[in-house]
Amino acid sequence: MAVAISAMALLPVLGLLLLVLWMGFWQNGPGEPIIYTTSHYRKIFTDAFTYKTFLNTVGFATTAVLVALFFAIPLAWLVERTSLPGKSLILAIVTLGALLPTFFTAMGWVFLLHPRIGIINRFLMDTFGLAQAPLNVASIVGMGWVEGLGLSSIAFVMIVATYRSMDPSLEEAARVHGLGIFRTLVYVTLPLTFPGILAASIYVFTIALSAFEVPAIIGMSNKIFTFATFIFYKIQPLEELPSYGVAGAVSTILIILALLLSWSYFRLLRFSQRYAVVTGKAYRPQPIELGSKGCILAWSFLGFYFTVAKVLPLLLLVWAALLRYFQPPSWAALAQVSMNNFYGLPWKLLLHGAWNTLLLMLAVPTLTLFLCLAISWTVLRSGVRFRVLFDAVAFLPHAVPHLILAIATMFAALFLLRNVVPLYGSLMILVFVYTISRISFATRIINNSLAQIHPELEEAAFVGGLKLLQVMRKILIPLLKPALVYAWIWMALLCYRELTMASVLVTSQANVTLPMIVWGLWLGGSLNQAAAANLVVLICMLPIVLLYFIFGRRRRIAESA
Amino acid sequence: MISIAGLSKNFRGNDRAVAALRSVDLKVNRGEFFVLLGPSGSGKTTLLRAIAGLEKPDQGEISLDGKIVYSRSRGLCAAPEERQVGMVFQSYAIWPHLTVAENIGLVLTHGRLRLSKKEAAERIRHSLSLVQLQDFAARPAHLLSGGQQQRVALARALAINPALVLMDEPLSNLDARLREEVRANIKKLAVQIGMTVLYVTHDQIEAMVLADRIAVMAHGEILQIGKPAELYRQPASALVAEFFGSINWIRGIAHGNNRVETELGPLWVADSRHCHGAVIVGVRPEDVHLQQSSNENENRIEGKVRSSVFLGDQIVSEIEVRGKILIAKGSPDDGEPSDTAFVYLPRERLVVFSDRVPSNSLG
Repeated sequence: MAVAISAMALLPVLGLLLLVLWMGFWQNGPGEPIIYTTSHYRKIFTDAFTYKTFLNTVGFATTAVLVALFFAIPLAWLVERTSLPGKSLILAIVTLGALLPTFFTAMGWVFLLHPRIGIINRFLMDTFGLAQAPLNVASIVGMGWVEGLGLSSIAFVMIVATYRSMDPSLEEAARVHGLGIFRTLVYVTLPLTFPGILAASIYVFTIALSAFEVPAIIGMSNKIFTFATFIFYKIQPLEELPSYGVAGAVSTILIILALLLSWSYFRLLRFSQRYAVVTGKAYRPQPIELGSKGCILAWSFLGFYFTVAKVLPLLLLVWAALLRYFQPPSWAALAQVSMNNFYGLPWKLLLHGAWNTLLLMLAVPTLTLFLCLAISWTVLRSGVRFRVLFDAVAFLPHAVPHLILAIATMFAALFLLRNVVPLYGSLMILVFVYTISRISFATRIINNSLAQIHPELEEAAFVGGLKLLQVMRKILIPLLKPALVYAWIWMALLCYRELTMASVLVTSQANVTLPMIVWGLWLGGSLNQAAAANLVVLICMLPIVLLYFIFGRRRRIAESA
Repeated sequence: MISIAGLSKNFRGNDRAVAALRSVDLKVNRGEFFVLLGPSGSGKTTLLRAIAGLEKPDQGEISLDGKIVYSRSRGLCAAPEERQVGMVFQSYAIWPHLTVAENIGLVLTHGRLRLSKKEAAERIRHSLSLVQLQDFAARPAHLLSGGQQQRVALARALAINPALVLMDEPLSNLDARLREEVRANIKKLAVQIGMTVLYVTHDQIEAMVLADRIAVMAHGEILQIGKPAELYRQPASALVAEFFGSINWIRGIAHGNNRVETELGPLWVADSRHCHGAVIVGVRPEDVHLQQSSNENENRIEGKVRSSVFLGDQIVSEIEVRGKILIAKGSPDDGEPSDTAFVYLPRERLVVFSDRVPSNSLG
């Protein structure tokens, strides 16, 4: 039965991928007679715009990786290897950072670095008498900077894991035999953590390659496209007709790229683990004393990071939310501060969106855990012949950009299932695609925990006469509970902030979600109202974050990597 | 060479502090092979790491070669790289991204000595020859077997000609046969070079084979320091006695005059450290002699042989004496013991401690 459930969960994943492939060869739009063609591919490979978008995307992702590493490597080293006080606070804040919706910081940075209204630009122009804005967030580097700030949390968690898996006596041996702190860092620590850092870079690069939120919020209105926004634009263009064939072809290329990157990521990860020596000794090394000068330097760096990654965008959003028109802080502006943006918010829509979001947060994690429990059991315990295949397919939603999953789902609902199930525009379609997209994450977590439970614990119950369902309920689920609780809360939080997939599939009031309302206001040009709505959304998120810190925090988010 | 006074260290756990070292005093002489012996959690590794500078103690003083490297009262704590010691780690800590020669070379060229490449090459060759690994110089270190890595670790520790070499359970990850071979090699090298070694282990056989002197540690304290034979024959406490192999314990009341009224009857003892009140008398299995008949009375008691197992080089028997089971080890040449026998416990082989239940936390 478990095998049947996992097959049911995984078939749609394969189905969606095949659909994307198929879509890329359609000459005309759906509804018309199907004529196959390779013209989309020909067009893509001959069009200068494709190459420009490709360069944009690679530039954007590379900048994001560099920014993320610039912050993550020193932070991880400080937390793992030094006596810096307040480490648990740093860990908590960085974890929190991973939860902060990217569209949130993206909007904050628009107010900071927009060539016309950005206050940093205005400040620099006024101070140095410049005619033009020196910085532009609506550029490849600007967007990469914002994306990199968002991804620095994930990079941090992964690099911390690299430090932890390294035998600390490798560094101690260098110290004892006369290499100082700096030489140890250069000749031992960095070379040994290099494969791990490279793996983290590829992982972050893969995410940035198909990232949607930052390019959508900053780039699209300025006609700067990356692959993700380009695909989106082909599906929901402003002027012309949707071009599903081109979207399908570009998506296929992007999927192949992402799969290649994921493959090299796993290769590298295995390579880096070759260096991880299991010592059998569970001691934590004596941390390096920083001294007062070092502490000041370290905290300045931390302060800078938290300011640019979290505090500044937040302050700017608050400031923007309080103004009718955005302007740099001044006495004159201060006089205009009011709560009007909040009063003017579409509260009825917001309430509706909140209700939908709440339903999603309850349904998606529950359904995902149910399915993934079956998948994990199939992979690790059933002994079915093709269980490796199950594992591989369960990994696909991680590698495939979520935007593409959503597009394929929309395509299926609109043109294949239209007369069978009325999914299009319903909340169900969001439940479906959100669940599909989280299968990799949940399977990984349950796999990790299930692998640590000795099969004899279940076998003893089987021998004692319990049936599979009872064994699940009485033995496995109680033992897996910490992992399940953690995964549930984390997925609920991801549901709450999900914008990418919603942007394709939310088509009516019936299935509108909170992030979509914020985005809608933003696209409509009411930046200040969007800022206000964003703050409301963020405040509503706090209770769940609290829940995460109470119940889920004991497990490290490293597992999500 | 090493001089330690009043050294204390607490580890702060989740809810309470655990004392890893409680005011430890220790002196190790130049050229000595000194072993710290104790079960896991006894503080022996913490002591070693504190000497290396990898752990910062809370109290006390450490000096190496007459130079103070740690002193709480003077607010002094030298960094590991300033202490001029060599160290062999339990995991060997061989840098997997370097070759065998580079593992040693890094220490020579970038460590305290800052040798030129040419000078280093000569030293690398010499130290590899000490451990018979000359032919492996260019091999990537992570391709070596455990035993080879162990030898590279030893060569690296010796390469800088340290006055003191610290070894943290260097043999515990080797299989039994290899362990004996490497053990003999380490001892030979130590004598050959005349180096001072501080060696941590939980294996009492290893300790007895290697050590000039042994310090037995438990619960962060040094229980006894002495030569191997002293610790075996004249343990300072029941804990030490148990740690050096199995022993039979007999309860009794001491009345002075080297006479103890025990549960087996009166026993004469030579050990006069505890001659009054409740005591326990300890006797090792090999000192429990079985005799068919007896003309003398001293320390001879009749008992029944309950079982007896032939182990090739010895026979181990369980003998019931007045309701108590004693373990005896004898030579197979003495023949199979008969059903009843006299147990003879030589008085000079009996150790006496004031009575408290011998802790099984050791062993």
